[in-house]
Formats: sequence, structure tokens, C-alpha cells
Amino acid sequence: MADKTFRFHECFALTTLTGRKASDILELIDIMKTASSSSIFHHMHQYFLKPHAVMPEYPNDFAEWVSEALGEPLLAEALANVNPFEFTDIEDLRAELLRIIEEYLKAYPPPRPVSPGREFMFNEGITIVIPTGIESGPQLHDFLQKLREADYSSVYFHFYESRLRLGRPVDDFSEFLLTSLERPGIAAKIKSLDPYMYTTEVLRGKIAALIEEEL
Amino acid sequence: MSLRDYEGIAEPGDLRAIEKMAGALSGKKMLHVNSTAAGGGVAELLVRMVPLFKDIGLDVRWEVMQADRAFFEVTKNIHNSLQGRGSPITREMWETYGAVNGANAARIDLDADFVVIHDPQPAMLIDFKTRGTWLWRCHIDISTPERVTWHFLKGIVEKYDGSVFSVANFAQSLPIQQFLMQPTIDPLAEKNAHLEDEEVRVIYERLGVPMDKPILLQVSRFDPFKDPLGVIEAYRLAKKYHDCRLVLAGGTATDDPEGEKVLAEVQERAAGDPDIHILLLPPFSDRDVNALQRGATIVLQKSTREGFGLVVAEALWKKKPVIGGDVGGIPLQIIEGVTGYLVHSPEGAAYRIRQLLEDPERVRRMGEAGREHIRRNFLITRNLRNYLGIWTALEKKNEKVIYI
Repeated sequence: MADKTFRFHECFALTTLTGRKASDILELIDIMKTASSSSIFHHMHQYFLKPHAVMPEYPNDFAEWVSEALGEPLLAEALANVNPFEFTDIEDLRAELLRIIEEYLKAYPPPRPVSPGREFMFNEGITIVIPTGIESGPQLHDFLQKLREADYSSVYFHFYESRLRLGRPVDDFSEFLLTSLERPGIAAKIKSLDPYMYTTEVLRGKIAALIEEEL
Repeated sequence: MSLRDYEGIAEPGDLRAIEKMAGALSGKKMLHVNSTAAGGGVAELLVRMVPLFKDIGLDVRWEVMQADRAFFEVTKNIHNSLQGRGSPITREMWETYGAVNGANAARIDLDADFVVIHDPQPAMLIDFKTRGTWLWRCHIDISTPERVTWHFLKGIVEKYDGSVFSVANFAQSLPIQQFLMQPTIDPLAEKNAHLEDEEVRVIYERLGVPMDKPILLQVSRFDPFKDPLGVIEAYRLAKKYHDCRLVLAGGTATDDPEGEKVLAEVQERAAGDPDIHILLLPPFSDRDVNALQRGATIVLQKSTREGFGLVVAEALWKKKPVIGGDVGGIPLQIIEGVTGYLVHSPEGAAYRIRQLLEDPERVRRMGEAGREHIRRNFLITRNLRNYLGIWTALEKKNEKVIYI
């Protein structure tokens, strides 16, 4: 019999520095080619784990830097449209980012270098996962209450990180609701949410609203 | 002081993470070593952080180096040289540096599971390591160091298990793991704790600053890199449109000849204007600084060079929009147009002052956003969490996802 207890985990990222930095788009490409896969992953995902008092314009660090520091909105928009959750292999993701920048450089002159202090710093991340002790029982309303109690990073762990952990486009919430609580309807609705379009806080609100509807 | 005191202020997830990680490290020994017991940002942070580490069950000690004036002259040179200023360090200076570190190693019990050495002064204690995980916490900007000085210090730092920098740009390429950890403020410390309006009013009165007009405030040392003359110029440009007062509050500069020179220039430039108030605050004027920030309409930090600039976080925490220089850690705290404005000239600062004085609703909105930005990212609990996280990560080398 499936375990009817959902154990909420929270997580946070420690940023580690590689010391490598790019001051213009050509340096960015050069470093991007040889940067660790962990670094590419970090810059494409950290937006979803960071708490935002104010939303950045674009949901990945490359797009944000190209927009803010280089001042190239066209390229920023193209990079912002790369959805990291569509890639199961980080090398494919890296290739897509490089392809977009190289295509851009075929059509437009390279923008001037950024001023000192505004370089793109290639970092990596270490994720620390915390068992919160927050657990919900077999009732859907209990699950909803505990979902609201847990931190936004819990949504990251169970909705975003799960895709990497499990190696397929699934999240812990819909898996639990489907297999343990036998609620296929609400599970399907949650599973169909596009993770790239939301911050964890907004996503939590969406999931909570769907469960409320169901209740 | 207890971690529980931060409930309702800090992120609940941060408090849970601290408790869980501390549970896993319970009873282990942690040691911090720095070079001053009081004064300066490092001591200010350790005073608040060490009791909290104790509260969560760690066996924590904080040791301060003992050294004479000659050593601090040398380390001041090293400090300046690492920041790309001053002259190269001579062989005799390195010998003094090594000898004082050796003497302190003989005096301080370095036995601990996790040893955090703050800044370059005690860095050479690593040569006396017998066990444990050692972390070098660099609080200063060493992005453009004098190369020979860095060559020698790098040889020391490479012996550590890991290092920590405040801003990604401050770091250097090192063969050991480098972590990013931004400094934070303590919302319950005297400098940031809530004050009633009446107390703010009384303090302003005692300091001789009438609260009859909007108040622009900069709290900083009288240092050319804080650009106090540029602040006066910005105030003058803005005052043509909005009647206001300017308060420049800083420490007395008796041991700093350069500071005295800047202060004299500031006094000369401000002479004859009764709406400019230059306040020389004695050390440990935290409550006065708190009140000044709370009574201000707009806070400035118009630095042309800056470390992290935590004074910006202090002002944002008090719901004040901040107009700051686009340098050091200031852009991490000022989100352009949201919590304040980044400026590059006195004219830029004047323009933003005018905009804000014209629009009290914007001041209010930015103040709210500023406080929330600091609450989520720059409170002391975040430092506690990250220290424990780094300790854990260094003990589980090469793991990218760590389950507690």
C-alpha cells in the first residue's frame, strides 16, 4: 500500500565561485563552452530557488546579464525563451545557448564590453536539502495546509528538483496525489503546470488554488 | 540571545535549516579568529553571531589576535596592497606578520572541528593546523590586488579547505573551493532594533538637527571614497527645488590623517549653510545612527569605491529608499528603481533626490520593498545558515546535493 504521508523537504543553494568571468559576449561564449555542467545548470536554475522581493525581468542569469549589463534586449529575449526544464541533458542545454548566441553574432555586431564590476561571474551551486518535519496525512485539506506552511524552497525541491532527481518530467506533488491519495484529476492538473513560467511562490499559489477547487 | 527571537522576522525556512543542520553538528567545536574585539564590521558581526551559534548547541569560541602596533601597521599595508593601493610589502614586514601569527598560534587553542579565520591578519594560523576543517573568510575586496602581495598571501590561503567572499567579483582564482556569502545585518541589534518615534525625535533634538524639513542622510567615515563632497553638491542641486536638510554623520577621525583632511574640506564646503549638519559621532553610537536613519527621508551612500556597504542594508531595513554609488556590494542591495537608485555623479544623485522628494508615495513604496529585500536576503540568520551549510559542504566534498 502506498505511503499516505507526504514529507515536505526544503532546500537552499550555496553559491561557489569559479573565478572565471566574462566582460563581453565573446568571452561569455568562450567560457560557456568549457564551463562545468554544474555552472550552466546553476545559472539556468538559480532564479527558481532564490527568494525574490522583486522579480528580475528574465528567469535565467545569462538573459538577465545580456539585458542588464550588455544592453542587448534582442539576445536577452532569445535566451530567456530557453526553458531548462525541457532538457534532460545539460550538454544539450549548453549547445542550445551557444547556438542562440552564435546565431545572433552572425546577424549583429558584438556589443561593447561591460564596465568593470559588471562582468558575468561563472558560479556553481551546492544544494542542501533539509527534512522539515512538516508532514501531511491522507487528507487533501491537510496536504494543502502543510503546503502553505512549508517554505517556497519546498516547492522548488518537490516540483523543480524532482525532475532532475527522477530524470523525467514529473513532480513529487502530482506523483503523491496520484499514487498515494488516488486523486488523478488534481494530479493531472498540477502536472500540467509549466514550471518555467512561475517563481516558486507563484507556483505554490497556483497549486494551492487547484487543490482548493478540488476540495 | 536566542534563535527563537528571530521568529516572525526571519524566513521560517532559514530557521528550520539552521536547527536541522545544527542538530547534525551538535556538540562539535567551532572557532572564529579575527584581529579586533570591537570596532569594525567583523567584530560587530561576531558579537551577535557567536551567542547564536551557542544557542543552537555548538561549542563555539571566538578568539582575538594579540598584536602590537607594528603588526597592525604591517597588516594595514597588506590590506591596502590587496585592495590595489599602497606600496609592496617588504621582507621584514612579512617576517613580522609570520612572527605575530606564530606567537598567537602558541597562545590560542586552535583545536576545533571547524575553524573560521577572518581576513588576512590571522591567515597564517593555518600553518599551525592540527585537525578540523579550516575556512578563510575574506571580508575585503581583493579583485585587483598588488600582485606580489597576493602571490604571498595566496600561498597561505591555498592551504585552507575553503574560502568565503562577500561579492563574487571580490574573489580571485584559487585552487580551493570558494563560497559566496554576503554579509548581513542583525535586526535585533541596537543599530537596527525598532525605536519609537518619540525616541527618534529626542535623539535628533540632542544632536541639534531640527526635523522641520525632509532630511537627506549619509552615514559614513569622512573618506574620499565615500564622496561626501559629491553629496553636498547633490544636496545643493536638489535644494534649488526642494527645501531640505543634509546630515553627514561619521566617526571622529583622530587616528586617520586622511580622514581629518576630508573632514576639513567637508566643513569648509558646508560653511555658512545652517541646513547642513556635520555630526561627529563617537564610537558605539549605534542607537544614534539607528535614530538618524529612522528620521531620514532619503538615505545616501554615494560611494565611489565600497566594500559591501552594509549601511545601505541598515537604511533599507528601516524602510528608507537609498541613493547609492554603483560600486562594491551596493548594487546587490539597491534594486534600481525598486529599493532605491544607483547613481554615478552628483547630478545623478540630485536628480533622484528631486524625484523622491516630489513623490512621497514612491518613497513609501520603495521603503516597503527595501525592507522586504533585506528581510529575505540580508539578515544575520542567513549568515548562520550559510556557515553551517558551508561547514557541511566542506565535510562532504564533491557532493552537489547534500541531504541533512
